[in-house]
Amino acid sequence: MHEEITIGGFGGQGVLFIGRLLTEAAFREEREVVYMPAYGAEKRGGTVWCNVTISDERIGALFIARPTIAVAMNSASLNRFKQTTKADGLLIVNKSLVPETVSRGDISTVYIPANDLATEVGNSDIGNLVVLGALLARRPVVSLDSIHQIMKDSLGEKQQLLQMNQKALEKGYRWTKKEYTG
Amino acid sequence: MARLNSKEAETILYQRPESMEARPFHFCPGCGHGIVFRLVGEVIDELKIRERAICVASIGCSVNSYEYFKCDGLESAHGRAPAVATAIKRCHPDLVPFTYQGDGDLAAIGTAEIVHACARGENITTIFVNNAIYGMTGGQMAPTTLLDMYSTSTTAGRKSALAGYPIRVCEMLSTLEGTAYIARVTVNSPAAVRKAKQAIKLAFRTQLANLGMSLVEVLSPCPTNWRVEPVKAMDWLAEHMLPQYPLGEYKVIEAVAALKKEVGNA
Amino acid sequence: MSEKTLMAGNIAIAEGAILAHCQAYFGYPITPQNELLEHMSKRMPEEGRVFVQTESELAAINMVYGAAASGCRAMTTTSSPGFSLQQEGLSYMAGAEIPAVVVNVMRGGPGLGDIGGAQGDYFQAVKGGGHGDYHLITLAPSSVQEMMDFAMLAFELADKYRNPVILLPDGFLGQAIEPVVMRPPVTKLPEKPWAITGARGRPKNIINSFAMDPVDYQPHVALLRQKFQRIKQNEVRYEGINLDDAALVMVAYGSAFRSAMTAMQMARQAGLKVGIFRPITLFPFPVAPLSNLSQKVKSFLVVELSLGQLIEDVRLSLSAEAKVELVNQFGGVPISADEILEAIEKIMK
Repeated sequence: MHEEITIGGFGGQGVLFIGRLLTEAAFREEREVVYMPAYGAEKRGGTVWCNVTISDERIGALFIARPTIAVAMNSASLNRFKQTTKADGLLIVNKSLVPETVSRGDISTVYIPANDLATEVGNSDIGNLVVLGALLARRPVVSLDSIHQIMKDSLGEKQQLLQMNQKALEKGYRWTKKEYTG
Repeated sequence: MARLNSKEAETILYQRPESMEARPFHFCPGCGHGIVFRLVGEVIDELKIRERAICVASIGCSVNSYEYFKCDGLESAHGRAPAVATAIKRCHPDLVPFTYQGDGDLAAIGTAEIVHACARGENITTIFVNNAIYGMTGGQMAPTTLLDMYSTSTTAGRKSALAGYPIRVCEMLSTLEGTAYIARVTVNSPAAVRKAKQAIKLAFRTQLANLGMSLVEVLSPCPTNWRVEPVKAMDWLAEHMLPQYPLGEYKVIEAVAALKKEVGNA
Repeated sequence: MSEKTLMAGNIAIAEGAILAHCQAYFGYPITPQNELLEHMSKRMPEEGRVFVQTESELAAINMVYGAAASGCRAMTTTSSPGFSLQQEGLSYMAGAEIPAVVVNVMRGGPGLGDIGGAQGDYFQAVKGGGHGDYHLITLAPSSVQEMMDFAMLAFELADKYRNPVILLPDGFLGQAIEPVVMRPPVTKLPEKPWAITGARGRPKNIINSFAMDPVDYQPHVALLRQKFQRIKQNEVRYEGINLDDAALVMVAYGSAFRSAMTAMQMARQAGLKVGIFRPITLFPFPVAPLSNLSQKVKSFLVVELSLGQLIEDVRLSLSAEAKVELVNQFGGVPISADEILEAIEKIMK
């Protein structure tokens, strides 16, 4: 097993947060993992990205040139990932904010209205968790249970926020299972 | 030096402080450094802190200050003595580090280090010798060189348009809240020397009482680079330096004032 | 049992230093190592140790000098422009034989440069950097685990040789998060009878790097030379991967090594016999192992994040007939495995 995941979006969309969730989950599942954020003078609204490499073997490069899984939370990220995503890879696009589609036959795509689905569970800001649910529905790089457990551990006392996040994650997972079966 | 026993000498009028090495100073004739070193040695003796004192030497004529004391010491890079002393004190609050710095070291290249040691209120003591000239490098302009004063890099006299103005260190540093005791003294007469010693002693006592940063600026003659005879240098200092650098205590926080009143602070 | 945890590279250095019983930390904020200073600002007081945020990197290195001269394990951390300011202090410490650890989380340069990761300070670290004749032991970690382990090793080597040790990761490694096995804390520190701790019941100690007369200073420098020779004999460290059948050997350290690892895996999948030689100590440089390797391998590819600095030491180490190529990035830009693979293919096909 070796997956190279790149997630991009606006600062404030929780791109780094879901990257960290994946990293922590992979760690708990005792896999090799590297998390590499874009860093520096990002501000809310600028495009940020992070890389998560999960593997059963010693991991080389910190950077991912051609992701096996790419998540585009905004148009700028899609512009990049539509070219870089590896053949046979998966590209997930947040349809709520990205009107464009990709015409590549050698990759799988998921167009998910993440912010709209997040609004349905009560908070339009947590489209990131909806997207994470979608990712796990198509490529179970870590188990959904691991993610739930980490959120429980880190948000323990903030019950309302925890429940909202869990709902968003499940929403994205189930929506994708339904819309993209097979 | 052989000790006289009590039979031979009923009263010892003058001797080398116990905390000082038996070695001649390397300074030029008439230089004030020797006096200042001796005062520091006397204070170390009187406060019985030789085993705790750390001489943090600087660069300039005082480069090998540690050679003259029987306490531990080290050489710091030019201007950095307050940073070095800061670390020693933070790591070993029981030690008594003091920096011994000249005007080029403290008021030019080491300005940031002394200002921030004062701003942090480091519990260290600085002896700052101001002779208005770079001695060791041969008489160039110092940050404290007076206007119109000759130096080998201001041969027509220091002109403000080209070389700015002399820095008044005590006045500047006393505005910082971390300073506890700041005084300017001189050594150009026996009376002045006695006052200088009192100030130096109070500075060390300030540190021993954990009251914050203490600094004594000593106006000191440099006959060689001033190009005057040693005795005349004392007069030159009074005539030219005192108007620019008035003597006195610039900062005495209440707790230090209380220390000063305590019996035994001769 | 040793605990495993996820940690960022910068934090691993901080925790490694604490495990190594670093007693005093001094630092000035500069990207990309700010997390390290921030972490120390919390952890050092928790441990009852000294933390000072200084007015400059210059003050920081001189505080390290003071703390280490007084017998404490001391460290400062910075990034490239700050490391330049610390060359003065490093020269003084090397001259006065003061053990200390300085971390340079390298960023893009020259000048103010940028905050990306780079390896442009290689020369500065391994060739001295400040004035005068001296060397600094320089350790190059290439994983978060090594950030911790080498921080600890750095303190050990510093004390062993009474010499400053540089930990030289690039900015990318500082930010990377990986699993780390926590190490047991160091509980026994070496005696330092030379330290200035107050002249109590012993003759006074003096720490300096100065003599009025050159005739008096030369013997001291000659002693330093002997020490650097001992370091060269005893402390060379490196890692070799797939060297047995390699037709081409890459030489790389830090995050460039990590990209080279992936490129090697890709090349091997394509049937290309590629290996990697990774210097772990940049000073002392693994001259003899590389020289021996070049008896059987004739093709080398240096991978680095600079215009070509490591490559000079590689060339000096290899036999005359070995061919050495360079594939690099610089100015704060990472190097991808694809770029490296392309260079490999160009050489091997």
